[in-house]
Parts: sequence; structure tokens; C-alpha cells
Amino acid sequence: MTKFLDIQNINAAYGDIQTLWDVSLHVSEGEIVGLIGPNGAGKTTLMRLIAGLHKPTSGFVQLADTPLHTLPAYEIVEHGVILVPEGRRLFGGMTVLENLELGAYSSRAREERFKTMKRVFELFPILSERQKQHANTMSGGQQQMLAIGRGIMGLPRLLMLDEPSLGLAPLIVENIFEILKLMNDQGVTIFLVEQNARKALELADRAYILEQGRVVGTGLGRELLHNDEVRQAYLGFAPAAGK
Amino acid sequence: MSIESFLQTLVFGIFVGGIYGIAAMGLALVFGVLKIMNIAHGELLMLGGYVSFWLFTTWGMDPFVSILITIPALFLIGLLLDRVVYRHVVTLQGEEKIKNSMLVSFGLTLVIQNLAQWGFTADERAIQVAYTGTGLSLAGITLPYTRLGSFAVAIVVTLLLHVFLRRTYYGKAILATAEDWESAELVGINIRRVYMMTFALGASLAAIAGTFVTITYGISPSIGIIWTLKALVVVVLAGTGSIVGAFPAGILLGIVEAVSGAFIGSTYREVIGLVIFVLVLILRPQGLFARK
Amino acid sequence: MSDNPIRRVMSSSQPSPRSFRRWLTPLGVILLILFAVIYPQQVDKQNVWNLFFLICLHMTMSQSWNILAGFAGQSSLGHAAFFGIGAFVTRTLWLGGIPFALAFILGGLAAVVFGMLIGAPTFRLRGAYFAIGTLGVAEVLRITVSQNIPFISTMPGPLIASYDLLPRYYLALGLALAATGTAYLLLRSPWSLGILAVREDEEAAQATGVHVLRHKLLALALSSFFAGLAGGVFAFQQISYYPSAPFSPLWTFDALLITFIGGLGTIAGPVIGAIFFILVRQQLAATLVEIHQVVFGIFFIVIVLVFPGGLVEAWKRLRNVRWIKKPSS
Repeated sequence: MTKFLDIQNINAAYGDIQTLWDVSLHVSEGEIVGLIGPNGAGKTTLMRLIAGLHKPTSGFVQLADTPLHTLPAYEIVEHGVILVPEGRRLFGGMTVLENLELGAYSSRAREERFKTMKRVFELFPILSERQKQHANTMSGGQQQMLAIGRGIMGLPRLLMLDEPSLGLAPLIVENIFEILKLMNDQGVTIFLVEQNARKALELADRAYILEQGRVVGTGLGRELLHNDEVRQAYLGFAPAAGK
Repeated sequence: MSIESFLQTLVFGIFVGGIYGIAAMGLALVFGVLKIMNIAHGELLMLGGYVSFWLFTTWGMDPFVSILITIPALFLIGLLLDRVVYRHVVTLQGEEKIKNSMLVSFGLTLVIQNLAQWGFTADERAIQVAYTGTGLSLAGITLPYTRLGSFAVAIVVTLLLHVFLRRTYYGKAILATAEDWESAELVGINIRRVYMMTFALGASLAAIAGTFVTITYGISPSIGIIWTLKALVVVVLAGTGSIVGAFPAGILLGIVEAVSGAFIGSTYREVIGLVIFVLVLILRPQGLFARK
Repeated sequence: MSDNPIRRVMSSSQPSPRSFRRWLTPLGVILLILFAVIYPQQVDKQNVWNLFFLICLHMTMSQSWNILAGFAGQSSLGHAAFFGIGAFVTRTLWLGGIPFALAFILGGLAAVVFGMLIGAPTFRLRGAYFAIGTLGVAEVLRITVSQNIPFISTMPGPLIASYDLLPRYYLALGLALAATGTAYLLLRSPWSLGILAVREDEEAAQATGVHVLRHKLLALALSSFFAGLAGGVFAFQQISYYPSAPFSPLWTFDALLITFIGGLGTIAGPVIGAIFFILVRQQLAATLVEIHQVVFGIFFIVIVLVFPGGLVEAWKRLRNVRWIKKPSS
């Protein structure tokens, strides 16, 4: 498969402190790719960089031959790369309906927004029930669904999610991951950052491991699930006796 | 003090509060969305006043009519200032951004004020329309047409702004940018364009207030700082995050000033607003109307 | 250019390593002081004395503002309040019969007392809120004085008859030297690290054990003292003025302009800035009246956006280009 999202030799820094070192990875169309790693590894930095909120010091980000790293964030959205950011970052003072509406602000998604909203309501019925509710009065799980819904409103060709399971009850996480699978079946390419390595690896076709700003490993989802080092580092397994 | 003269003072306080409110909304808009403090806001108000003055003296245009020209004129000036000056400041973050915007707008205050002085001389100018000095008489209270008209237009403008911000797609985009600019970018909003348009809109609101000031009081190049401070007081009273809420806050200030002036004496009328301002800043910085 | 804040400030007043240039800065300073003392006596012209006087007065105002804003990072817009209080107390006491020297010191102390009263509550405010809050306080003072004492204050006849500008100039000069010297010593004192730390990052300073409020109050005390004394000098020099005039925010804004043009957070900044500002203003005002303020405004904007270090920074860049060809790290 051709590389849909292609990231090559990305270096990034906050002021004088380098955060990403020579990061290269790719996502092919129709895949679900995961990015796991410890806290502070740079996963969120990378996501924000791809989305255009942060610029690399060197390297490039490409979406099917279109360079993204030189574009401002709103233009990257026009190309169909949508980030559901860490911590949801909803427009709290606005209603569910308004948040969703704004999700379709780009010229690409704008015309279809009422149609898209129906789809979002099918995926997340609870949002339909609470259309007029203010976003900041909703529970964590509902907010995450709204955040994902807002992302869908932008008609993503590539949907990126940063820690969607953060702070949510296991049942809700199940629910959300089921919906992600469903969306992928319907053709949405997904790039997923997760602290919850197990869930990420169960869902993903492939995954990368980021540690201290560097890519230290990659492989198929189910392979990494059964890899000893990964199991010890990220899946909570104790080292086998005698090793 | 008789009931009548008290009511008269109260009514005048409400009327001037309307001007405060419009001036403050412009500043609140810029502060809320761009997160900068534009000290030159009062200068934009002054420029708006001079535009209406000039249109009146040159073509006899009624100031309420000339508002339709003053608004786009100051809108353009606002766009220009954003492109040339403020654009460089909005890229900064947090406290540095606010500090630098204050400094830069302070420099602009010098420039604009002195250009106006050079162009119009330091003399105070006033507009005398046919109906200046006449008014409606209601239950023993006089409602001068100039002030009544200003207040009526102020209410209309406030309603329009409210509808624009809360009911139109673009207005909601502006509010979204004010709430979380990164999230706004992530949904495809061009926040640079939003900043530019919002700043220009703030300038237009200042211009409208400036027209009212010219009609009600008169205008001179030195009124800029006074009105910036006045608008600031109202913005702080209303609380950060309130944009349209600055209008009722302005009326409240007008009433408080008028009433205290009636009881404590007019020498302290100017001071009372500032004292409340400092107290609110220290004791309740989120403002009187804050939602949080 | 090192990003170390202390190095940044100290290097403006410390001599560079090259042996012959070690003496350049102190020599320059001594020459400047000698010039300031001797030249006016040679030239018996009121307008020259007046010019020098203004430079020294504004230099004091800027140095004092700089101690609070440039060193401690608290950009106050209410500086004129101290100037006004100093002028008010000095004038009232002096014209009321108290010997000037005593009235002068009391004026300065009155400003400090006011500063300490206002300081504790307003220091709770941050950044822009602190700026507008202090502006609000200063404006309250100005309007109160303006409303309650609207009459012009004029020196009584005998004092006008015996009026001599020269000693007043030397007082202003001495004050400017004292203010500059105090700033210099402050940076070499044990408090300097704490004060600069507060400027760079209040929370971090607090976390490392710096008593933030105490350091702010120290900077405020020095700042208000010298501004108050400057007000006393003003009251001594002006034959007649409206009592609310020294409370005008223009005094704050001029100090701000000068400090920024010269170089915020440096010692040489207010010195260079005051000389530059007054001389240029005099020159422009003669030819272009209002336009000189426009020019300063544009100049100021350019400095804020491009040259935040002011003339001191520009000078340093120029020096480094000419003499030193270090390999860049």
C-alpha cells in the first residue's frame, strides 16, 4: 500500500530543548496505526506537529504527496487531517450542536454538515439526546464522544486521536474503541496515540513505540501485544523468572 | 434633592452608560478574542468622532446617518493597524503578549493622538445639529434627542452584535477562537483572519461610541486616554470573557457615577468609577458578572 | 548573547575583558559627570541649564521606574503617583515654612509610605492587571487633587526674586547620580539575584525560596523613594504649576518611553535614553511641534517589536560586530 501519511526525519524543539529526534513513520490508507510510549515521550508533540500547531525544525510531513509541515493548522484541516486533541478541548461554553457545527467549519466539510451531523448522531446517540446541552456540563465520556464527533464533522481522510481513553471508565473506553473500529471499517484511516497500550495494540493494525522523542520500535499490533519487552514495559507484565 | 432631579440624573447616567457600554464592548471583543490589551482603543474612538465631525462640517451630514460611513472607515483603519502593527504581537503567548500589546498600543496612542492634534488642532469641537438642545419631555424629565438617539442606536448595535456572535456561523467561530484558539485552528478556523476581523470590528464599535461622544459632549484629540481607561473600567467590571456583557456593565457604571455624583458631589463622580475599578481588580478580578 | 538574565544586566555595566577597554566605561562615566558639573557653569545660559535639568529629572524618573519594571519585572503605570506625592508634600511643607532639605526628604518618604500601602494589595495582580490597576490608583490621586486643589501654586515673591536655576540643576544632577548609583549597587547587592529571579519567573523564584513579596516591596521602596524625591525637585524648580500636574500619567509614560528606548533592565539604559529623548525632543519640538511625538511613538513601536533591548542592545550589537569576531557557539 502507498504511504498515505508519510513522516520523515522529523526533529522538533521547544525553545532550546529538543523534543523529537529523527522521527519517521507512516500510515497507509485504511489502516489503524497506534503510537504508544511512556509519558513525556513526545507523542502529543508529534500529533500537534502533524496537525500544524507546532512546526518541525527539520524533516517533512506529507499526506499523499502534499507537504503538510509548511501549512498552517486550518489548511491542514482542509486536507482532511483532523486531530482530536488530548483533553478533548471542547468549546465548553457552547452547546453540543454548536460544537459539532463548528467541527465542519472548513470549506470542505461545511456544505455537508447537516448530513454529517446525522451520521454523528447515529454513532453517538447520546449526543443527539443532549443537543442543546452545554459542553462543559457533560461527563468525561460524553465529552470524549463529542470531541470525536466534532472531529468526524470535518470529514477526515485521516483521523488522529490523542489519548481518547484518558480518564474514562473502562466500559466507555470499550464503547469508544468499538466506534473507532466501526469508523475504520467504513473507510476512515486512524492514527491513534494511547497511554492504554493494550487497547491501542488490540485495535491497531500496526503500531510504533516512541520513547524520549525517538521511535524505538514498530510492528504489527498483535505481534507487539505478544512481544516480551513490550509486555514488560507497557502491558504490566513482570519479567519472566530466570531472565 | 427632588425626585425629579434625581430621576433626571439617573436617566442621564443611563444614557452615558450606553456610550460606556459600546466603547467597552469594542475593547472586550479585542481583549477576549485576541487576548491583547489595546490601549489605543480610545484613540480609535476619537478618530471615529472626528470622522463624524468632519462629515458634518463638510457635508452637513447628520451624525446618526454618518455612522454608516464612520463604521467602515474605522473598520478599514482597524484592518490596517492589525496588518501593520498588531499582527506581530498576536503570535506571542500569554503575559508577554499582553505586555507587548500594551506597549505597542501605547506607542500607537502617541502617534494617533498627535496626528489628530496636528490635523485638527487641540481645540475642542462639537456638533450642533438642528435638534441639539431639544428633547422629549416625560413626567418632568427631559430626554434630549441627541442622547436619546445615541442610546437607542447603542441598544440596536448591542442587539446586532449579540445576534451576530451567538447566532451566525462566523460569529460562533469568533467566540470559539476566544475560548480556545488551538481548538479553533483544529476545526479549520483561520484564526489570523479572525484576529484581523475582530480587531477591525472592535475599531468600528469604538467609532460608534466616538460619534456618540461627539454628539453628546464634543471632541478633542486628548480624550483618547480618558476613554480607554473608562472602557477598561467597564471591561474589568463585566469580567473577562464577557463581550456583550460589557454593555449592561457600562450602563451600571453610568448609573453608579450619576447617583454617587448626586449624593457625594460631582467632584468625586469621576473617581468613584476608578475606585470601584481598583477594588474589583484586587478583590474580584474575574469581574462582577463572571460565570465562573 | 547569553540568555542568563543576570549576565544580561551586569554586562551592560561591567567592563569587557580586554585590558584597555576595562577602563573605558568608568572613564566615560567620570568624563560625563565632570562635563555635567562643569559645562553649565561655563555656559551662562538658562536654556542650557533647563535642558540639563530636564535630562536629570527624567533620568531619575526612568531609573526609578526601571528598578521596579526592569529589574523586578513589575511594569507599573502609576509611577506618576509617587512623583506627584513627592512634589505635593515638598511644596506644601517648603512653602509652609519648613526648610527645603527637610521638606525634600519628607516628600520622598511620603511617596515610599504610599507605595508600601498600595504595594501589598496591588502586587497580588499580575501583568496587565497590575499595570492598569496602578494606573487606576494614580488617576484616582490625580483627579482627587485636581478637584480639591484646583488653584495654581505659585512661589511667593521673595523666593521668585532670589530664584536661581543653577543650584536646582545640581540638585537634579545629584539625584540622578544617586538614583543611577543605587541601581548599580542594587545589582551588586545580595538582593539582586532574588529581584531578578522574581522578574524572570515568580513561581519558580517562590519555589526556590525567594520571598517574592519582600523583594517586590524592596524594589518598590527604592523606586517610589527616588520618584518622590524627583517630585520634590520639580516642586523646588517650578515657579508655578497646578498641583495636579505632577500626577499626570504623562510623567509615567515619559519614563516608560525613555527606559525602553534606552534599554529596559539596564543601568545605562535610562541614562542614554534620557539624554537621547530630551535632546531629540528639544530638536524636533523646535521644528516639527506635534510630529516629534509621532516620531517617538513610531520609534517606540519599532523598539518594542524589533529591538526590545533598546539603544543599549543596539550599541552592543554594533560593538560586537566591529571588534570581536568570535566563533558562534
